[in-house]
Amino acid sequence: MSSKTPQTTRRVFLGGTAGAAALAGFSSLAQSPDTRPDAQAVPLDDYSPEFLSAAEWTFLLAATARIIPSEGDGPGALETGVPIFIDRQLAGEFGTAADLYMEGPFVPDATPQLGIQSPLTPAEIYRQGIPAFDDWCQRNAGAAFHDLDTDAQDSALQALADGDTDLAPELREFWSLLLQNTREGYFADPMYGGNAGMQSWIYIGYPGARANYLEWIGRDEPYPLGPVNIAGERA
Amino acid sequence: MRTFLKVIGGLVVLGIIALLAIIFVPVQRTPAQTALADDWQPEEGHGEYAMRLSDCMACHTEEGGEPFAGNRAIESPLGTIYSTNITPDEETGIGGWSLADFRAALYDGVRPDGTHLYPAMPYENFRHITEEDVRAMYDYFMNEVEPVNQQVEETALSFPFDQRWGLRLWKWVALDDPGFVPEYDDPVLARGEYIVEGPGHCSACHSPRNTVMAQAGLQAGDPEFLAGGEIAGWTAPPLRGPQSAVRGWSEEDIAMILGTGRNAHAALNGEMQLVARDSSQYFTDEDLGAVAAFLVGLNDDVEPVAEDPGETETERLLASASPDMGLGARLYIDNCNACHFVDGRGADEVFPELAGNSLVTAESPRGLLTMILGGSQLPSTALRPYRLQMPGFGQRLDDEEVAALASFLRSGWGNSAAAVDAATVADTRASLE
Repeated sequence: MSSKTPQTTRRVFLGGTAGAAALAGFSSLAQSPDTRPDAQAVPLDDYSPEFLSAAEWTFLLAATARIIPSEGDGPGALETGVPIFIDRQLAGEFGTAADLYMEGPFVPDATPQLGIQSPLTPAEIYRQGIPAFDDWCQRNAGAAFHDLDTDAQDSALQALADGDTDLAPELREFWSLLLQNTREGYFADPMYGGNAGMQSWIYIGYPGARANYLEWIGRDEPYPLGPVNIAGERA
Repeated sequence: MRTFLKVIGGLVVLGIIALLAIIFVPVQRTPAQTALADDWQPEEGHGEYAMRLSDCMACHTEEGGEPFAGNRAIESPLGTIYSTNITPDEETGIGGWSLADFRAALYDGVRPDGTHLYPAMPYENFRHITEEDVRAMYDYFMNEVEPVNQQVEETALSFPFDQRWGLRLWKWVALDDPGFVPEYDDPVLARGEYIVEGPGHCSACHSPRNTVMAQAGLQAGDPEFLAGGEIAGWTAPPLRGPQSAVRGWSEEDIAMILGTGRNAHAALNGEMQLVARDSSQYFTDEDLGAVAAFLVGLNDDVEPVAEDPGETETERLLASASPDMGLGARLYIDNCNACHFVDGRGADEVFPELAGNSLVTAESPRGLLTMILGGSQLPSTALRPYRLQMPGFGQRLDDEEVAALASFLRSGWGNSAAAVDAATVADTRASLE
């Protein structure tokens, strides 16, 4: 699985979180239009997508459910509301590439180290990528992605990840975006719509936005407290 | 009976005459306290420095406005008072004021037309400024400050406080003798005393107000001097006595917090941040040392805080991270611990100590609640430019939670201040909105 989309570097992340969380405060996060500090976890069935069409939503439910499946040890993408996270991100500044450099040149066969090579915004990549990939599934596996059985879905996603589908060059980031956004929705603070009930944090033992447990470093025993989110809720 | 009516009538007439006299007979203005030669000229920079000592800038400049052009809204218990334009603009400022006019504003709180100034202008303290500093400041404002034509918002207090003539009576009670006579022979202590009592007008916030809202102590010898007050929702902590914010602090600690806004124990908050930003960071090292020596001297008789109390019960509880701990302790771990740590001692010059912190343990919890709800940001100073910030937790915590957290802080690590209830939090929250 390659990762060709612009990613937050560790340095920016560390600088950003230390500055924002410890010193500058949580307010800067709360002001972004795609955050809802007051939002409760919305069951997927009751959610009306803001950006995605019904067909796109159906695809996303099916695809994220294969990337982080529900069967297994921890919660899956669907129980944690990952599709909601992605829909909200696409409806907001992430979707419109507000923070991305969007002038050319775009060189589709440039090495991944040279970054995103599509003139399309992330929202446009999803909008064009989903029907293009569904079309490929139709032609190569006999049905749209969400109608395939899980094994066939996994094979199709593997082909997408390996670049073995015939997606247009400006859609080459579709897979890595989908993968990255699924992970983000799974682990990000619940204020962004995913990680419902902080389930992913509970699963991996992450204490959340508590940010400090110095006294526990080097102690070979589990940290006793459950996580806390940016809104201050405890789980 | 007729005699009785005559007496009553006479008293009424006398009363009216007295009232008219109070309103219309011009105030006798305090003269210069030292005779200086007519051609006396301040040394270069003296006037600006005296302005820094007096911190004219903080109140007479609105946020983002031109320096000294006034219009800053000053919240007082009586209502909002707008500071005046003290640039040398002829029409809207103090252009055209004589030295005697300028001195009368500082010493007597009157404008050239006889209007009484509200004591938001600290003439209770400024009347102790030396003639040299008055002359130097006059020279600075007339010749070095840029005139700005800006009409400020009219101060409109409600009746009876809009009757400014009443201030004349108030001044008879509130004002002491002009001039400065130090309590100390030592020149360093005397210099520190001068800055604190006179131009620095520390007493305007750090002394309590008496029943007529005058400063209850104006000089080092008054027991109420710097015994603590409250300003704009923040605590102006006692600087002497058993609750002294600076007890146990060294002269270096005090000089450091005045010069940079932060030291090993604490960080300035509230209105005091403006003092560091516009005034005390510009003090010379000698003057910072003098103020520090004077304040340390005021705390001679105070029991110092234990330097290292060892591991406290509070620290043990927090370090256990036990899911059974009370709400206040749990909220501390979830919200505060990352910076202030389980021992409540924070980090030097960055995260203030909460153990023994005067804001935390103040009798009125208002300053602490203002801090928790709205956060705070240090001013940038030349020696410590970074504007360190604590975020507000008003969004994250409801009133019950803030009350539980504040009560925990006020009783943790050996602190022993009263608990806080949710109603007080709600009240503080409302005043911040």
